[in-house]
Amino acid sequence: MITEQAWLLAAVPAGMFVVLAIFGRFLPRQGDYLGVAAIGTSFVLMLIVAANFLQHRGGVGPWRNDFEWSNVGDFRLRMGIFIDPITIVMFGVVTTVSLMVNIFSIGYMKGEPRYYWFFAVLQLFAASMLMLVMADNLLLLYISWELVGVCSFLLIGFYWEKRSATEAAKKAFITTRIGDVGLLIGIILLWREAGTFNIEKIIEFAQNGGYSQAYLFVAMFSIFLGAMGKSAQVPFHVWLPDAMEGPTPVSALIHAATMVVAGVYLVARLTPLFEVADGMMLVIVIVGLTTALLSGFMALAQTDIKKVLAYSTVGQLGFMFVALGAGEPQIAMFHLMTHAFLKSLLFLGSGSVIHATHHNQELDKLGGLWKKMPITGTTFLIGSLALAGLPPLDAFWSKDEIFVGLADAWGAWAVIILGLAAVTTAFYATRLFIRTFMGKPLDDHVYEHTHESGFAMTFPLIVLAALAVVSGLVIFNGVGQALGFPGGITEFIYLPEEGPARYAIDWGFATASLGMAVVGIFSGAWLYWRGSLEKSTALARFQPGVYDMLRNKFYFDEMYQYAVDRVVLGLSFVVSWFDRYVVNDTGVDGSAQVTGYTGFILKYLQTGKVPNYAMAIALGVVGLAVAGLVVRG
Amino acid sequence: MTFDEAQGYAVLATLAAPLLAMLLLIFVPGANKMAARYVSLFFAAVMLGLSIYIFTAYQVSGPSFAAGEGLQMQLRWDWLENIGIFGKHGISLYLGVDGISATMALLTGIVAFAGTLAAWKLDYRTKDFFILFWMLVGGVYGTFFSLDLFFFFFFYELAVVPLYLLIGVWGSTRKEYGAMKLTLMLVAGSVLMWIAIFAVFREAGAQTFDMPTLWAAGRDGTLSPTFQKTFFPFFVVGCGVLAALWPFHTWSPDGHMAAPTSVSMVHAGVLMKLGAFGIIRLGIQMLPIGAEFWMPSLLVLGTVGALYGATAALTQRDFKLVSGYSSVSHMGYVLMGLATMNSIGVTGAVLQMFSHGVMTALVFLMIGALYDQAHTRDMKDFGGINKVMPLWVVFYALAGLANVGLPGLSGFTAEFHIFVGTFRTYPLFGGIAIFAAALAAAYMLRMFSMVFWGPFNPRWSTLKDLRPVEAIAAGLLLGAILFMGLWWAPFTDRIGATVILLPGVTG
Repeated sequence: MITEQAWLLAAVPAGMFVVLAIFGRFLPRQGDYLGVAAIGTSFVLMLIVAANFLQHRGGVGPWRNDFEWSNVGDFRLRMGIFIDPITIVMFGVVTTVSLMVNIFSIGYMKGEPRYYWFFAVLQLFAASMLMLVMADNLLLLYISWELVGVCSFLLIGFYWEKRSATEAAKKAFITTRIGDVGLLIGIILLWREAGTFNIEKIIEFAQNGGYSQAYLFVAMFSIFLGAMGKSAQVPFHVWLPDAMEGPTPVSALIHAATMVVAGVYLVARLTPLFEVADGMMLVIVIVGLTTALLSGFMALAQTDIKKVLAYSTVGQLGFMFVALGAGEPQIAMFHLMTHAFLKSLLFLGSGSVIHATHHNQELDKLGGLWKKMPITGTTFLIGSLALAGLPPLDAFWSKDEIFVGLADAWGAWAVIILGLAAVTTAFYATRLFIRTFMGKPLDDHVYEHTHESGFAMTFPLIVLAALAVVSGLVIFNGVGQALGFPGGITEFIYLPEEGPARYAIDWGFATASLGMAVVGIFSGAWLYWRGSLEKSTALARFQPGVYDMLRNKFYFDEMYQYAVDRVVLGLSFVVSWFDRYVVNDTGVDGSAQVTGYTGFILKYLQTGKVPNYAMAIALGVVGLAVAGLVVRG
Repeated sequence: MTFDEAQGYAVLATLAAPLLAMLLLIFVPGANKMAARYVSLFFAAVMLGLSIYIFTAYQVSGPSFAAGEGLQMQLRWDWLENIGIFGKHGISLYLGVDGISATMALLTGIVAFAGTLAAWKLDYRTKDFFILFWMLVGGVYGTFFSLDLFFFFFFYELAVVPLYLLIGVWGSTRKEYGAMKLTLMLVAGSVLMWIAIFAVFREAGAQTFDMPTLWAAGRDGTLSPTFQKTFFPFFVVGCGVLAALWPFHTWSPDGHMAAPTSVSMVHAGVLMKLGAFGIIRLGIQMLPIGAEFWMPSLLVLGTVGALYGATAALTQRDFKLVSGYSSVSHMGYVLMGLATMNSIGVTGAVLQMFSHGVMTALVFLMIGALYDQAHTRDMKDFGGINKVMPLWVVFYALAGLANVGLPGLSGFTAEFHIFVGTFRTYPLFGGIAIFAAALAAAYMLRMFSMVFWGPFNPRWSTLKDLRPVEAIAAGLLLGAILFMGLWWAPFTDRIGATVILLPGVTG
């Protein structure tokens, strides 16, 4: 059964990483074709595995393949893979987006230093993510999770000569690492009672009431911290906008397929546990709503193309968490997929713009690029409208489902908050498109040198734009039936522990969410149309306080910087000082000095003069005699 | 002669090799530096080969495992028997290995070989350096192999003493102070051990220093509970000084700062492990009731050390101080693992001894390779070194990431077992330990971004990348790091099989 050998999907790019990292620099063209070939192989394998899986659906599966890894006494570790519909969807997203990003990079990264290294790390990135989504146990999942983190660290810091890039890489790694502390604690807590790391067995154990309520809540909350860190949820979101320091194709990969969706995947995978842990669903939905709303506002005032997109990703991840918090992991996964296509499209599109304008990503210098870059412009428009949630583009369907699910689970208050976030989404998507492609060029110099990008870069854009148009339709029963999963995507992705449920479009909600998209788009268009900034700057002048607050991203970074500088580093100085002056100089050297000083005093007793010694002997004799008499009485 | 005894001669040969190297070097003319280097390299290769043999030949199941209760490759030469206070096997050169010491022997072989290569370009009194170096390594091997308490202590001291000269003569930065402090603190620890050793000898009444006999006395209560509780701290503090037990750790940063490269490597890589090894051999195995009583306290000290070292490392500016404090932190994990007294935690502690050994040796090798050229270790002076020393950066970065506990590298394997073991018994402390591991990411990445990356400081454009000898040594160490990180069953099999036989260690 080919599906049982799905580990090959990860093994091929992982092997290519080793080859490229060691020999890449000696290869002609520095081996970019090998990178594309490796991820292309994974893509083909994905198709085969998916076809095989769909063929046998209903009869067999999910597939398992595991073996003993190590043991110490009764501590037995097994490693294995587990393929179910969630994994298949993730396979599709990861391999497709990775392949497109690899192809795009051939054009975008041409002539960059360390070209081979870039492709090498892309392979490892994809391999770790693929491993993560097929791990059947939390230990392997954690291992892949950390490898994903270190790959993003390497890629964000790709331009290491720039101080800002290394700082951003450091920030990304350490911020997510703080979440990972929680994740590891949670994993070990789950193991502690269940005695296994196997995900299915842990879920079974929990559903049979193996954990006490409070215990499970603590464990799941810890795990959720890890998911928040990786998926850049408030208050861990600060690393993601800074991660823009990496080359743009990397941003596309991180935002769509590999890094940030790991958290969503983790929560979706463990949904049965979160459901058993009382109160966790509320925590998830609140975090999701907060993130969606705050990031929507933060994106409004950004002037860097990639930063707008970054906050947009944070927000859309918030949407996914809302779906998870509503107990609908299949909708979260659906939104993950639609968002992956449109966001990688938008990032690669912005990469195309940045490449064409010689590394200019400030909106204040762009505008009017539509005529110069028709392909990029068209595909970017499709991406923006999809992000805004216009039917029949892909994100419309998934967003709509999120609203339906949310209304069911948490009621009107949550829907209103998320609706506001959806309006801001449509607004900033429109603003971004108009300010980049419409109106008059704001900087003639930049404009003159702009040209459409080459085929290696436009081809992925076209493919992803096509996916952004059609991929949402898989929600329909008919489309699903044609592709081999009757009932549509949401019925296909159900967790093995839950029953399937067929979704029908709720026309009331569909109209409402179309309304939100239209409101956002029109208000954006009204403010920014024809590149005139009068209305928007007037707005900024009208409410400077609000504007500054948004521009400075609610001052999260400043607060963290303060905490790190004053609290953490301050503590470190105190400990260092204590170690030096109290433990070492007082304790260790002090005892040496006391010894030395005692010797210094005592040495005067050793005069070397015979009379002194004779005197001492005489005194000693007298003393002993007196003592003897006293004792005898 | 049984097969086991024949294998015992392999153990004896491993121990004899460094001592033989010492003897041979005495007759090499001091002016002929290359001869001294090649003699050393030859013996280092022999030791490495024999160590690998011992590690691989150690059986984790089957009749040979059952026969020796975990001890294998035993060889005994009686020295003082039935004389005076000594009865049967009074004092004997009794060698053998279990899963723990087999792993430690492998570590010593690897680090000593890499250390020899690291000292290749050492030009000042090369011959004398290597004589002392092999004396140190001989002491280390002897301690790991000895199953006789007298010789255990003898070799333990043999390892400590040459350090004074090695640091005092060949060292740098405040070397006299560092060497003196280190020696005095370690000797003070030895005094405590020596007192406790005699107390055990007398209390057990077996008229022998034979360790298996004394272990049995500890288990069956011949050494009374009160006695065990009284003398356990002597062993733990005595050995703990060498294992950087907080608050007796301050020799470590200063000592490392002063020591020359290869001595730092062997010292941090192997010698510090003698302390933890002593806690297992003398504390857990000989005084199990005392261990049960005192282990919670050791857990607290280990946790404090783990957090304290990581916090202090955050703001250091000297490479070696970062690694020195990081060692305090990582040895804190070792002590935590031992203190859990369950098989996972103790196995994790031994894994960490190996892992910390190879990764710290690699870190010090890299620091030495830079310091030899740059003559400064202030991290603020550097920047963008990746431009001139890319290979150096790769090795250093991987060693650093192993420090951080990145999966795929040895640090994760070890720390994971320690965390799981700690959580099994003391969840709160497990949580603190995992948090300290996040601090490790902070201090390591801070160093990466200060030194490896960022704008290139043109002052360093003359720096050369690793020389071939250094690259070979680094490659060997990195191989060990990757081996344990990617496939740890060979280690856990051997260590775990032994650990579950330790008295008082649960499940």
